[in-house]
Amino acid sequence: MSSVSPSYRCSVEPVETFFFVVFALQIWAKDSLVSSVFCAKRLDMSNDAVIEIRNLSKIYRDFWGRKKVQAVKSLSMDVKRGEVFGLLGPNGSGKTTTMKMLLGLLFPTSGEMTILGKAASDVSKNERIGYLPEESYLYRFLNADETLDFYGRLFKMTAAERNRRADELIEMVGLGKARRRQLKEYSKGMARRIGLAQALINDPDLVLLDEPTSGLDPIGTREMKDLILRLKAEGKTVVMCSHQLADVQDVCDRIAVLFQGELKVLGRVEDLLEVRNEMQMRTSNLSDAAMSDIREVLKKHNISDATFSRPRADLEELFLRTVRESGERPGRRFTTEEIAGKPGR
Amino acid sequence: MDFDVTPFTLQDMAASLKSWLLILSILGAFSLLLGMLLCVARNGAAGIGIFFKGLLGFLNDVGSVSPRRIRALTSLTLKEAIRRKALLVFAVFALLLMFAGWFLTNSNERAELQVGIHIAFILQTISWIMMPVVFFLSCWSLPEDIRIRSLHTVVTKPARRIEIVLGRIIGMGIVTLTILAVMGGIGYLWIVRQLPTEAKKQLTCRVPVFGHLQFINPEGQPSLKGINVGDVWDFRSHIAGNSRSRGVFVFDGIDDSTLVTGTETGEGGSGTLQIAGLRMECRFEAFRTVKGSESSVRKGVTAQYTLSNNPREEAFGLFSQSETLRPLADALRDAQFRTAANRMEELATKVAADGEAAKNKQNLELMPADYMGLQLGSVYAAGVMRDRKDVALESAATAFQKVAERGGDLVNIMASNAEDKHEKIPGLHEALSQSMKQLASLLDQEADTLHEHLPKLEVVLPSFHVSEYHEGAAENVKFVPRTVRFSADAETQCRLLARLFEMINETGQLVEGAGLKSDLAAQLESEGKISVANANLVVEVLTEQLASGALKVDGSKLVVADGQRWFHFFDSLIQKDLLISAESEGWMIERDLIKDLTHDGYLRVEVACLNDQMYLGMARPDLFLRKPDRDFLVGYGKALVSTSLMMLLIIVLGVTVSCIVKGPVALFFTFTFFIVGQFFHEFMRELLYNPAQQGMGAIASAVMTAQHRNPQVGMDVSEATQRVVQGIDAVPRAMLWGFSEIVPDFSVFNSAAGFVENGFDVPFFETVVPAFLIFLGFLIPCVLIASALLKFRELESK
Repeated sequence: MSSVSPSYRCSVEPVETFFFVVFALQIWAKDSLVSSVFCAKRLDMSNDAVIEIRNLSKIYRDFWGRKKVQAVKSLSMDVKRGEVFGLLGPNGSGKTTTMKMLLGLLFPTSGEMTILGKAASDVSKNERIGYLPEESYLYRFLNADETLDFYGRLFKMTAAERNRRADELIEMVGLGKARRRQLKEYSKGMARRIGLAQALINDPDLVLLDEPTSGLDPIGTREMKDLILRLKAEGKTVVMCSHQLADVQDVCDRIAVLFQGELKVLGRVEDLLEVRNEMQMRTSNLSDAAMSDIREVLKKHNISDATFSRPRADLEELFLRTVRESGERPGRRFTTEEIAGKPGR
Repeated sequence: MDFDVTPFTLQDMAASLKSWLLILSILGAFSLLLGMLLCVARNGAAGIGIFFKGLLGFLNDVGSVSPRRIRALTSLTLKEAIRRKALLVFAVFALLLMFAGWFLTNSNERAELQVGIHIAFILQTISWIMMPVVFFLSCWSLPEDIRIRSLHTVVTKPARRIEIVLGRIIGMGIVTLTILAVMGGIGYLWIVRQLPTEAKKQLTCRVPVFGHLQFINPEGQPSLKGINVGDVWDFRSHIAGNSRSRGVFVFDGIDDSTLVTGTETGEGGSGTLQIAGLRMECRFEAFRTVKGSESSVRKGVTAQYTLSNNPREEAFGLFSQSETLRPLADALRDAQFRTAANRMEELATKVAADGEAAKNKQNLELMPADYMGLQLGSVYAAGVMRDRKDVALESAATAFQKVAERGGDLVNIMASNAEDKHEKIPGLHEALSQSMKQLASLLDQEADTLHEHLPKLEVVLPSFHVSEYHEGAAENVKFVPRTVRFSADAETQCRLLARLFEMINETGQLVEGAGLKSDLAAQLESEGKISVANANLVVEVLTEQLASGALKVDGSKLVVADGQRWFHFFDSLIQKDLLISAESEGWMIERDLIKDLTHDGYLRVEVACLNDQMYLGMARPDLFLRKPDRDFLVGYGKALVSTSLMMLLIIVLGVTVSCIVKGPVALFFTFTFFIVGQFFHEFMRELLYNPAQQGMGAIASAVMTAQHRNPQVGMDVSEATQRVVQGIDAVPRAMLWGFSEIVPDFSVFNSAAGFVENGFDVPFFETVVPAFLIFLGFLIPCVLIASALLKFRELESK
């Protein structure tokens, strides 16, 4: 019996009494017909999966029940404990729909899913979940402290615990100076940060991040990615959906690529991105003579399509370095040579 | 507005609870069925499993409600209301109060009108200012949360939907109650400060005790209705001036707590005394049939109250409902028990003759109504006599009871369709006749005892004027001191003297040697509170009686020579006109209002109109006893509580509807509920339950219109068609019934304000308790419905 918590209490209403009897029957005959009709079938959790999805489909319908679009088609996948899992896909591919079904914001048309061993419709699962929506849907009339206190009070947290946790999180997301300002005065990036803080208020085991880097500047993006990796290091499971492929590549252990609601690719990032018919070598700066020798060796092995070039830092790295340098030496402008001459990482 | 409220009893509460459970069961069953059908329609056979799974989840949510989370959501709602500037209503309120005085305060107006206007202004203003706030808060808050998706973040936490609903309702409730309390407080101060000093005296809460009204017609017979003077409104019935016509108000539950402390001018006009007494307030309608000068019109007509304790009227009044029994009734009411015995004997003979006639299948002399009158009158007579718990009346009560039983047997068999009724009826006539004869014999034997033990005491109060335009509030309020001094009639005089002499004789202080005690007159004066002249008269007459041998000295006591009781001895003296007072006021005596004029808490007040050709109109609420007034703040507070409950109910309805539809639609729905509940609830119930309003259904009416027929003759169609038409017409009727049951009666919440505005206290059990129960009755199902709607709603549906 997975859908009814042990804290269920019976009241005097006749209808409730009837269902209480049904509930008792379920306990008595777990595998009986009653159980098979009234209970969500519990999925096999032996493989340490935090999320299990089987044949999940979602059809959006209009007011009259006519089919508008099938957002998810027979999706089956698992998310394992302690991994960072990325849901990728273009707009409208069904990744956010899947995530909202996991959270109970949408109801599946068919299929089954469990999160942390509980049905998606079971509210008690939320005790161990943190969710950062695509945009920070928070109460704009509250300030950061009040926001975290409010969400903290929805969990079994004492006032002291809530205060301590709020201080930590506000410090972590860098909103220390703005903690008394109402959220309506926040920029988009600040709102994302407080959104992230609320998602982590209960120190969750499973963190669901919908477009976590959306609206963040490169520093925020890097910090978000660092945070995801830190969460992973703490043993937490992170599920993120994004179409910022670079971000996903940087942090995810496994990814699933969805297209028009169907699962197209599922696997480990390093396995999927490895180019098996090419080699790449990276060294410190080479002299012309060394280059000439290497060419000779390659020629000897009948390799004629080798190319040599200097590695290029990506724009994110450049931006981060510039910001860091500017902080250390304010008022200074950097030349191209200076920037290019700096070590990458 | 009628301030004579219907009592709200435990039986009413039980009936309401039963009806509530019925509606809830129907609603619950309908919702479950609809839910299951929707699940099946969407998911096929698997829908049943989904439905039950969802239901179990919902019940699980209901069972795991956390006060901690509700508190969090409540405080969120509070912050939202405050930061979204709901408190701006105070500014509007303040603005209105700043200038209202310019238009409302008019010191030339009557004081009670000024008070009413000021209170009405404050209570209405609070109500109307609060309403938009409450409507918008309750209908807009959740849909707005859903629109901007802030609720989505909340539901991804362990917050149950029922907690969200409760948090919203409680939070908004606290905001509303706080605003109401502050505005109520400011309003109270404004009323007190704004009213002129004279009008402030009227700022009180009258606590009325209403009675039951019946009439005595100009022929002196009891009647349920008075005279119709041609007024289209039959709210008031009239009594004719200068006739035996009376309005009789019978009040129940009168005791010391009904009395108030009033002032009375001391003897010889020397200052005022604070004494306890009964306060009566009337608002009769004077109806003049002749024109008069302006001053006489303003003076209205003259009315007079008579307080009476008249068990004979109560016991035997009902006999007079039958024309044939009227002579019997008159004799019994006038304590002419020997005459009554003769009348009863005559009737018994007629009943026996009717038995013979019935046997020979001839017409009966007495009508069925006479037999019913005889039965009911006897039931009542026996009941009233037993209620007095007087052993002397027991045998008469038993005899009346026997007549009632025999009469009942006869009436029942006459009304039945039993096959053997014609065989039984003569025997029953005979049995009734026998018991009537026994009663007649007993009445004759115990005439004196009955007369003595069924005393009639009447206190006629000074007359007063009733204005045609309800002017002169002071004139309408009468104060009757608890110890009332009045001019006694012969019967009362007789009882007074009999009691006095029995008492003095008992202590052996009546006789001195072979004659009366020398200071007997002084003793009578002090103990009987009668005047010196009357005391001397009594001593003089008694000395003569002693000399004539009608009285004799027996030891230390004085006894009546022929063994009569003192009551009958004095009665015979009065009958012989030997005790006519020489004083102009007659026999002035004192009686206690509670001890002597009420019996088991009943007080009878007869109202007479003294002007010839004039009429006095009255309805049940037109005369009431005023208990000690309560502080204005008490009634004002109760009115605010009622208003608060109304606002809370609007919040509950608004939040419920807003769980499934968007803000504007929720607002429209809730407002419609309010308007229908406020103005049309009574109308719906009239249509449903008043046969005069029901008429026929739409289809039946259409058929009859086509056939040019009316409801009396009905449709000219076959029985089968008639059933089909009635079946179709039953559908909208059932819908109307359902609608009338699920729309709350908002007028209950407003009634409290009416009481305060008109200077009355708000009856707690009849106004505030029903309002609270209505609120509670809607709160429980609404919270469940709202939670279910929110739970089974896809928040992210596109």
